[in-house]
Amino acid sequence: MKDTIICRCEEVTLGELEELAKKHHSSARELKLLSRAGMGFCGGRTCRQAVDRVLTSITKKDPTDALPLKVAPPVRPMSLVDLGGAAKDE
Amino acid sequence: MQVYDAVIIGAGPAGLAAAIQCRENNLNVVVLDEYPKAGGRLLGQLYQEPDGTWWNGIEESKALETKAEQLDTDIRLGVSVHHIETLDNQFVVHTKKENFTTKNVIIATGAAESPVPVPGWTLPGVMSIGAAQVMTNVHRVKVGEKGIIVGINVLSAAIAQELHLAGIELHSMVLPAKHIISGEQANPRKVIDDLSRVAHLAPSKFIQFGSKFAKYKWAQNLALQFYPKNGIKMWEMPIHLRKAIKQINGTEKVESVTLVDVTADGEIVEHSEEEVQVDFVCIAGGLYPLAELAAVVGCPFQYSEELGGHVPIHNERMETPIPGIYVAGNITGIESAKVAREQGIVAGLSIAKKESDSPDIIEEKLQTAIENVKATRKAATIQFHPNIPEGRANVSAAFSKIIDEQKTETTKEKIS
Ligand SMILES: Cc1cc2nc3c(=O)[nH]c(=O)nc-3n(C[C@H](O)[C@H](O)[C@H](O)COP(=O)(O)OP(=O)(O)OC[C@H]3O[C@@H](n4cnc5c(N)ncnc54)[C@H](O)[C@@H]3O)c2cc1C
Repeated sequence: MKDTIICRCEEVTLGELEELAKKHHSSARELKLLSRAGMGFCGGRTCRQAVDRVLTSITKKDPTDALPLKVAPPVRPMSLVDLGGAAKDE
Repeated sequence: MQVYDAVIIGAGPAGLAAAIQCRENNLNVVVLDEYPKAGGRLLGQLYQEPDGTWWNGIEESKALETKAEQLDTDIRLGVSVHHIETLDNQFVVHTKKENFTTKNVIIATGAAESPVPVPGWTLPGVMSIGAAQVMTNVHRVKVGEKGIIVGINVLSAAIAQELHLAGIELHSMVLPAKHIISGEQANPRKVIDDLSRVAHLAPSKFIQFGSKFAKYKWAQNLALQFYPKNGIKMWEMPIHLRKAIKQINGTEKVESVTLVDVTADGEIVEHSEEEVQVDFVCIAGGLYPLAELAAVVGCPFQYSEELGGHVPIHNERMETPIPGIYVAGNITGIESAKVAREQGIVAGLSIAKKESDSPDIIEEKLQTAIENVKATRKAATIQFHPNIPEGRANVSAAFSKIIDEQKTETTKEKIS
């Protein structure tokens, strides 16, 4: 199970997440930044729930009302041009 | 610049029903959905209800879309919303193509599936149960020759029936193996308890399966202890509460899975490995509210197991504590399509009332619509979690608390 990939985009395994979380006593957000889990192309749409659960089970904390991982725009993959890059300048 | 009365995000049953109400009250609205077809998750649904009638999602969706079209509703498909920005008393809804400025927003983005990682789950041929549903019922593509379903819940049972109807062979339905992420979904005791509570609100055959286990714990324990080795069959497909998937095997794609026996507590029985040839695997980890846009616009959240996870706080009128931001459908909690549709009506009427010169007339309709949501929930023939009304009450209480706090704040400000 340790070698099982949790975040597919960034290819982060369960083992890596567990190790990092234990070593740094990290919060969900820190774990995300340390491992890049949930920060790939899909923006965490596939693994967000799984990463959350790894965290709650390692820290033995029940889920709280606050979202464990902050959601930041854009919530869909975008090209820089679509975000208002040079090609759009009038 | 055009300012809309409302931008509705999501063209599922909730979003479409909301749009119809807005248009009937002559509001200037646009509906945005990233999928190429309107209807949301309705599109994949086809199952027999406990009373024997059939629920055909494609027809239900067509009915809503036709009604919306008759009212000249502007529905734009293939448009992803990636941000909602607050500007004075208005909102700017950002999409890849253009931005929409609006007085109100209804976020009706539905639900997403929770993953249950299994060793080997990145092989081609592994898919979520929802993906199998869409391929089968929407795209009419055969997902494989023979498959297995991981995860035993109301959703996987409903979709198993759909695959069966489409003539797709399923080896069985098993539990995920116990690990840090699968959690309670891998615990036969928890699964049987959940099933006994919701099985009477599930597709017809599943009821018979669920009703085999009484609500009493001792009966459930007995059932687990003496669970038949060959499983209990539903549409020729065995359901195994005492078997779990250990890993998915294959080099280029799925070739087989390794199953293990588990104890009544979900612990793996040593040396019980068994290899089963399949060419596809469906993972059913349950649904959670897809609330990313509510988070981005600053809605406060509450965690509710009954509702499927973190939900944006809202009241019965589908208002969030942010004036002008409304929610409807599965984003507020995982329930059936019928409930989502009724919630959409409420959200649409709430905005119509806000924008109207004669709000009293709409208030009456709104009250009826709120009652209809409750009645529909009570009569629901498919239910994903036990104790939904309890979860709903907690979220409403959280809403009142926030509003009370806001009021005290403003009085304090006035005094000082
Ligand atoms: C895989 C799956 C299977 C289901 N099966 C059943 C079933 O068999 N029976 C049942 O009663 N219920 C089922 N449900 C529950 C289902 O969610 C409800 O039945 C109902 O469809 C909810 O309606 P809704 O309008 O809230 O959301 P949905 O019907 O999910 O519609 C939401 C819409 O919002 C769009 N959207 C989301 N985010 C964005 C964005 N950022 N930008 C633009 N558009 C966006 C989506 O493309 C989608 O069309 C299922 C749900 C899922 C996920």
